[in-house]
Formats: sequence, structure tokens, C-alpha cells
Amino acid sequence: MEAKISSLISAADNGDGPASEALFAALYSELHRVAKRELARRGDFVSLSVTTLLHEAYLDMAGRSVAAFPDRARFMGYAARVMRGLIIDHARNRRAMKRGGRFEITSLATEVAENLADEKELTQVSEALDKLAKIEAPLAAIVDLKFFCGFSFSEIAAMQGVSERTVQRKWERARLYLHRVIRADLSC
Amino acid sequence: MPTFGTDWWQAVTPYLDEALAMPEEARAGWLSSLREQNPALADQLRILLEEHRTLVEEGFLEKRPPLPPGGAARAGETVDAYTLLSPIGQGGMGSVWLAERSDGRFERQVAVKFLNIALVGRGGEARFKREGSILGRLSHPHIAELVDAGVSPSGQPYLVLENVDGTHIDQYCDQNTVDIEGRLRLFLDVLAAVAHAHSNLIVHRDIKPSNVLVRKDGQVKLLDFGIAKLLEGDGQLVAATITREGGGALTPEYAAPEQVSGGAVTTATDVYGLGVLLYVLLTGQHPAGRGVLSTADLIKAIVDVEPPRASSAVAQGETDGKAVAASAERRATPWKLSRLLRGDLDTIIAKALKKTPRERYASVSAFSDDIRRYLARQPISARPDTLAYRAGKFVRRNRATVGMATLAFVVSVVGVLGTMIQARTARVQRDFAFRQLSRAEAINDLNSFLLSDAAPSGKPFTVNDLLGRAEHIVERQNKNDSTRTELLMSVGLQYVSLEEDAKARRVLEQAYDISHEIQDPSIRARASCALADVLSLQGDLPRAESLIQEGLRDIPEGQQFALDKVFCLKKSSEIARNGTRPQDGITNLKAAQTVLRASPFSSEVSELRLFLDLAEAYREAGQYRAAVAAFEQASVRLSSLGRDDTELAGTMFNNWALALVQVGHPIDAEKIYRRAIDISSVDQSDQGVSPMLLINYASALRELWRLDDAASYAERGYAKALKAGEQVAINQSLLLRGRIYRDRGDLPRAEAMLAEVEPRLRRDLPPGHYAFASLASERGLLALARGDYDAALRLANQALAIGEAAMKSRGQGAGVLPLLYDRRSTAELLSGRIDEAAADAARSVGLLQAAGQSETFSSLLGRVYIDLGLALQAQDKQAEAHKAFQSAAEHLQNTLGPDHPDTRRALGLSQTRTDPR
Repeated sequence: MEAKISSLISAADNGDGPASEALFAALYSELHRVAKRELARRGDFVSLSVTTLLHEAYLDMAGRSVAAFPDRARFMGYAARVMRGLIIDHARNRRAMKRGGRFEITSLATEVAENLADEKELTQVSEALDKLAKIEAPLAAIVDLKFFCGFSFSEIAAMQGVSERTVQRKWERARLYLHRVIRADLSC
Repeated sequence: MPTFGTDWWQAVTPYLDEALAMPEEARAGWLSSLREQNPALADQLRILLEEHRTLVEEGFLEKRPPLPPGGAARAGETVDAYTLLSPIGQGGMGSVWLAERSDGRFERQVAVKFLNIALVGRGGEARFKREGSILGRLSHPHIAELVDAGVSPSGQPYLVLENVDGTHIDQYCDQNTVDIEGRLRLFLDVLAAVAHAHSNLIVHRDIKPSNVLVRKDGQVKLLDFGIAKLLEGDGQLVAATITREGGGALTPEYAAPEQVSGGAVTTATDVYGLGVLLYVLLTGQHPAGRGVLSTADLIKAIVDVEPPRASSAVAQGETDGKAVAASAERRATPWKLSRLLRGDLDTIIAKALKKTPRERYASVSAFSDDIRRYLARQPISARPDTLAYRAGKFVRRNRATVGMATLAFVVSVVGVLGTMIQARTARVQRDFAFRQLSRAEAINDLNSFLLSDAAPSGKPFTVNDLLGRAEHIVERQNKNDSTRTELLMSVGLQYVSLEEDAKARRVLEQAYDISHEIQDPSIRARASCALADVLSLQGDLPRAESLIQEGLRDIPEGQQFALDKVFCLKKSSEIARNGTRPQDGITNLKAAQTVLRASPFSSEVSELRLFLDLAEAYREAGQYRAAVAAFEQASVRLSSLGRDDTELAGTMFNNWALALVQVGHPIDAEKIYRRAIDISSVDQSDQGVSPMLLINYASALRELWRLDDAASYAERGYAKALKAGEQVAINQSLLLRGRIYRDRGDLPRAEAMLAEVEPRLRRDLPPGHYAFASLASERGLLALARGDYDAALRLANQALAIGEAAMKSRGQGAGVLPLLYDRRSTAELLSGRIDEAAADAARSVGLLQAAGQSETFSSLLGRVYIDLGLALQAQDKQAEAHKAFQSAAEHLQNTLGPDHPDTRRALGLSQTRTDPR
């Protein structure tokens, strides 16, 4: 999967649509696999942090790939996007969840939920993010990384090789854009 | 309200950036100057900035901020269960308060020490508390107790410590003009405390006079054990403390060279700190010299400059005021002091202060042994380096097993740590990544969703489906080129990890075929090795082996292929170990290590994994001493990667403890098992602990004759194993419970366990497997307990037959053979076949000794010596029997402790006066 993903990342970087789709599918399966493995390993009461999951997945793939693997920044950008989808789907499913509720959502959902009550609003953010991605993709990536995945400014800065202040500025602009778009959608 | 488009956004962005970058107050002015140039733009920006203000107030998309360090504490305030009374002082890490329990439950007063650090998220808190509870278990008269660790509501971490009313040890000694011998005796107390902590796998890391207090009654108390570790969030604490300046500044005066240069912190680091402390106590000076040094010079001195010998340092002559004062505090003159220190004490101090950790005292116990010898006017000895032991215990040499059915516990170490390989210049990035891994962030939970396999669109699908899709995508590629091969290989390896061997094989065969059409030999090599791996899993060993050979041949020379080589060597090792060539497995791993070390890619993680694989390979092959040594190496690396509280570490600790049991060190093993259990358990329950680990732990407890605890753990392990369907664990637990029942004299139940496990073993294992030797041997012991000596002898013979056959045909079961001989010896003795009994016991001793130099102690050997002594006694060889009993006593005292029934038995036998017949 690693060589496949690494070549898909290159293709997706160059704007190859089907490659992007294939990439997301591959990343999804990979993240899913790593998550299941980690969860099985840790027992059923310990929960897994998103950032840990992403790091594990990256190390796993980079490690298995004997050839050069894309740098973490690019990987994380795409993986964070996939994580966004996973999280929203999770919120969606939670309402319909009939499974035994041994796994309670803890802080991610509460943190997200502190400000956005339900999956509907998350979806709004996501759609707005998609719009933002078309206009200024790096901003959307930062929101994926920070808001959905929980990376800190310094981590994102280190990942992207820029200063923390740069990341913060971009974050503020992204927030502004999203806020506007969401309010506009609500009122129109 | 219109949404805005790309052009507009791009035009506005630079202004927005500028405005957001400046403080709020400045924006108004900036806006007005902008308005003069471009009013429309300024208007839009004003609206945008207002909106920004609104969303900030709303906290739009804002996550919970990290917990800030708490504000100043006040008297009367409560922190958890304690009420603060008065400030004691300002420690280097935060303020310290005298406190008492709010409910007045205990009269003892405590010290609450606030730590000025921010814990990262809930994960950091949990880790802090868990470490605190591990440290809290340190109980020793010379260690100030860590009563509690917690986080205040305002988010500030704190420690609750036993309040010690005492003076710093150096001041105490000076104020009371304690002489050299007195200081050495006090120092021995300090060493005892540190040794105790080390045996619990806790390193102090910050030994200095201010952490060693002496009470008015002369009682020594060490403070702040392992607290440096507790605080270790993003890396080496000492490095951070070195750079701090002013306000109770921490200087690296007592730091070891490796701490200062960012190396691994181990028990040897504590030895160094103790060395500096001793130097100061005996000479009144710091090894780096007199006078105030800048931090930079101090660091240089620590790393580069050999300290002057203690005796030279004090020989300043009668006219030097400071020298006279210092020696007076030690009840001597400078000249006399120098003479006292010259020779042995110089040597002892120098050994503790060696720059290379490996060259110092191997353990704190060794350190105190030498000091004791000095005080008793005995010659001190230097310990050979080969017995150096990082975690403060002695390495025992290779001993065979006794008491445990030796079904190998193979734990797959593949997993969590990937091999993140980067050129040495990118160390920072790598360290960053690992720090991320070590840190648990806010706990987010996607468990149920991820486990539910639901697809983004809501339709259920499986990973297999996705891989199928991936295959199709690959198929659509027309060219048979290296990309296609790589893609096929990665899909194939993915299938392997999903245990879809058939699919994996199909894909990897394809990859292998295509790879021959490609120029790049390294791809061919990898394809061969990947395919070989699957084939070996499916049992096609001959072809697997030939493919590996092919792969290794194909790898071109050159550093850029080093990793490919390591990959192939590892696969080759796995194949060898899957088969019947454990020694080849070891050789290949060592070859992989050599290649990795020589490569330009620095990967501590890969090295760690290789050490872990190697340790397991040694253990499987019965080379337990080498296994233990490899585990130590792995443990050091694990610690230095900051990952010694992870799942991987838990696995390693388990395997290490297993090897320790197999070399006859159950006390050490028990502690390390405890560590493994601590890692996977949360909140005092063993919910997350693997059943096999519980059973292994139970086995060690049984060795130590803690039968009740052993039974309890064995039962829990059994129940968990049943629930999880872990067949090997179920079998092991049945065997173990059988033994425990036998130990307690409940023979029928013991029989029942064996009866239950036998069909399972027959189902799971090939007929000649040495497990059946153990089974027969167990039955023999039951027969002995019933008094049926004939049956016991018959079963012992049967057991040996199976064991020896297994050894011959498969090279397995080396650990069991000495045990089998020993038991047969007992059966023979009780049946009156005295000479055979003696011969078998001697054979057993010989096998156990054959593994290496005879310098270390083993509980296994100790027990066999008892049986040898009994046989010799029956042969009327009283003197030799007595010697055997004495050996037994010595071994058992050192490995099982003086209170163990076997030790007492050996001691009793060795003290019996031998009557002339």
C-alpha cells in the first residue's frame, strides 16, 4: 500500500482527479487498519487520539516502504482530509448508533461539540472547507489539521516548515472565511 | 449577503494578513490610513475585521486551550485532599508548601510541590498520574515517600511528598564535622536507597546534595526520585533545565556527561551523580574544580575533562585557608586527608565518575560493595565490564529452565514503531515525530465508528474491498514497470498484514514475475524476499529459502541499498526461525545489525527492533544470557526514545522477564513483569493486560512461593485467555494451575488440569514436541507426590526420551533437559537407585553449567544442587554433599531470597553436622 499511496500522492499533487479518489480510499483503509490494530492492542477502554493515529499510520507506511516515501507534511495534508470525512461520518453514525455504547466520544466530540452541536454543523464546516480548498488549499489543510485532527500550531508549523505565526495567521483567515460562508449559507 | 469569490479573496488577503498580524489597538489607525487611499477596500476590511472579532468571541472552531500553569497558591487553599499550611520554599521546579490532610486523617504533615509546567492535554495528565503511582510504590526507609501526584483544578500538576525535616547532606556533614568513615557510612545509606529504586526500574536522574537530606536523628532521606522523568514531556528535562537561568537556576553541576550531551539516561547516570556527591562529601570540592564556572565551561568540563584525583584535590598545603577548613570539617588536616583518600578511595570515586557509562560501576550495589570492602579493610575489586547491567541488576549467565513448560511465547514485535529512516542531518525532525508519538493528546475516540466498518457514504464495505479496488487500479496500468511492481508488492504486503495469505501470495507471485522484466535489481530482490516471506508462512519452506538466497544475491552493493539488505536479512531470519534453524535466525539478525550500523541512515527505531528480534531469537534458541543482554540493549534504546511506557515496551518487558526466569532470576523477573503489567493496565484493573502476561507473571510468583498471588493471577489469566480464545495461553494456564495445585497438595485437581490440557496439546502440536516431555514430567511429579515411585520413574524416563529426541531432531527444548534429569534423579533416589540418582543430578548440573562462565547465581542451579547433595549423601560422600548443599544455599539465597522455603531447606541441609557412619 505504501508505494501505491506514495505514487498516488504524487499524482494527486499534480491534480489527477481519479488518483485523488484512489488516494483517499487507500488512506481510509490504511487509517482504518491502523486504528483497529491500535485499538485491539490497547484494549477496549482506552481510546486513541487522532494525532497518534495519523502518526502511527505515517510511520507504519513510511517504514514499510523501502523506497522513499513522501514527506510527512504532504501525507498529513491528505490524511487529515480523510480524517475529516471519518469524523463527520462518525458524528452521523453516532445518532444512528445502535452498538453497545462502551466507547463514548470524549474530548474530540465535546470540543467540537462545544461549538458545533451536531453533525449538521460539522457538515456545513466541511462544505465550506471544500469551497475554501478551491480558493486557497493550504488554509483548508490547516483547518483539517488543527480543528479535526487536533494538531497544535507548533506541530503544524514544524510539519510545514514555516513559522508558528504564519500558521496562526492562516488559521485566522481560514476561520474568517468559513464563518462568513456558513453565515451566508444560513441566511440565504 | 454575497459569498466571495477567488479574485476578491486574493485581493483582500494581503491586507487581511497585515491587519490580523497587528494588535487590535493598532488596527483602527491602520484602517483610517487605508481609507484615505482606497475607501471601498477599507470598508470591506472593516467589516471583515469586525466579523473576526465576533467569531473570536464566539470561539468559532476554537478547541479547548491547553491548561496553563496555575497561579500563585495561598495558605488555607485546598489541593485535592490537602490543605496548604505555609510555604516551605521555592524549589527549582516550583513552589513547595507544607500541607496536611484536609480531613485530618493522618497526623503526618506532607509537602506539596507545585510544578511549573503545563501538561499537554488529558493524555499528559493521565501519564503524569500513572507515573506518579509507579513512583509512589517506592517504599524504603531512606527514600522520601511520594504520597500522591495529581493535577489541581486549575491545571497545575503537583506532587505530595513526605515532609522531611533535615539538612542537605553536605551541610550536615560539615556542620557536625563528620569524619571520612562517618561520611562513607551515610553515603552507604544513600546508595541503598538508590539501589532499591533501581531494582524497581526507577532512575533518579537528579542526584545532588539538595536532594539528599539528613534528619537530626541522622536518618538519610532521598528526595525527588524519578521526578525528572515525571516531568519529561517533550524531551530531556535536564537539557531544558540547563538552559534556564536565574531564579533558583538549575545548573548541571551534578549532570552526567550523557545527560548533558543528550544521550540515554540510565542507572549508570545515577552512578555518576552519586560519584560527584561522594567527591564533594569527601573533598569539599566539585570534580570540575574550584571557583565559579560559567555554565558553558561547566558543561565542557563534565564532558571532556577528567576530574583531578580526590587525594590531589585536597592536597593544597597547610596555608590554603579553604583547604584547611575543608579538611577540618572532616576531622583531618589537608595532608592527612590526602593520605586517607589516596589509593582505594581515589579508585572508587574515579570509577564512578568515568565519562563512558559502560566503564562505571555496573550497579549501585557494586558501588556500595566496594565501599563496604574499603571500610572493612578488604581489597576492593573491579567488576568486569562484560557483566555490566544497565538496569542495576546483575546479568546472569545462560541457565536452563525449570518449572515452566517451555512452549515458546512468541510475541510479534512487528507493529507500532515503524522504521522511520532519515539521514543523520534530519535528526530534529525525527525526534519531533517521536515526541509526538510519546505524547497522548486530548483523547479523541473514534472506536465504535472505526470498528463498525462503515464507509464514508454509509454503505458497509471492507478493507478487502478497498484492496480489491486497488488491485483493479493496478491492473489498469498497462506497463510492466517498476511502479507496477511496487504497487503489487505493497498491495501484497497489505494482504499479509491482514493475514490473507492466499491473496497475498497471488499478488506477490505476480510482482515477482514482473520484477524479472525490470532493470532495477533491488526491486527484484525485494520482490523475492516479500514472496519468500509469504511462502514460509504457508509452509513452503524450501522454495522460501531459495528465494531469499536469490534475493540476497540480487541486492547490489552500495549504501543506498542498505535498507533493502536489512529487509531481506530480516525476512531470512524469520524463515530460519519459522523452520528449524534458530541459529541461522540469530546469525542473520546480527548481519542485519551490522549492515544497519554501517549504513548512512540513522534509525534508532530499526536498531531497537533488531535488538528485540535478536533477543527473542536468542531466547527461542535457548541462549538466555545473550537474550538478557540483548533485552538490556533494547531497553536502553527504548528509554532513550522515550517509549518505555508503550505497548512495545510492555511486550519487551514481558519477553525480558521470561528470559530472566529462564536464567534463574525470578526476583528480577517479577519486578519486570510488574512493569509490563503496569504499562497495559489502567486504574488498578488488569483489563487491558494480555492473558499470557498474567500467566507468565503468575509463574514467576509461583517460583517465589507466593502461591496465593500466583493462583489468583493464574485464574485471571485463564479466564481472560478463554474469553479471548488464545489457545496457547489457555494451555499454559492449565499447566501452571496444575503445578500450583500440586504445590498446595491438591493432587486430584492437579491431575484434572493435566487431563484437560493433554488433548489440547495433542491437537495443536506435533507428536515429538518437547511440551509432551514437560507433560510427562508433570505427571511424574504427581506420581511422586502420591508415593508411587515406580510410576514416577517410568514417567521420568518417558519424559527424558521425548526431550532428548526433540533436542536431536529439532534442536528444541534445551531448557527443559536439565530439569528432566533433575526430576528423574529425585525419582531414582526415592526408588533406591542411588548411583543413578547421583549421576542424573550431576548431569543436570553439568548441563546448567555448560552454558557459560560460572560466575553468577541461578535458582535453577541452586535447586539441582540440593538434589545432587541428597544423592551424594545417600552415597555416603558426606564432604561432597556438604559442598553441594553450600552451593545450593548460596545460589538460592541470592536468587530466591532468604525466606523462600527452598533457600531455608538448603541452608538447613548445609548446616547439618555430618555424622560419621
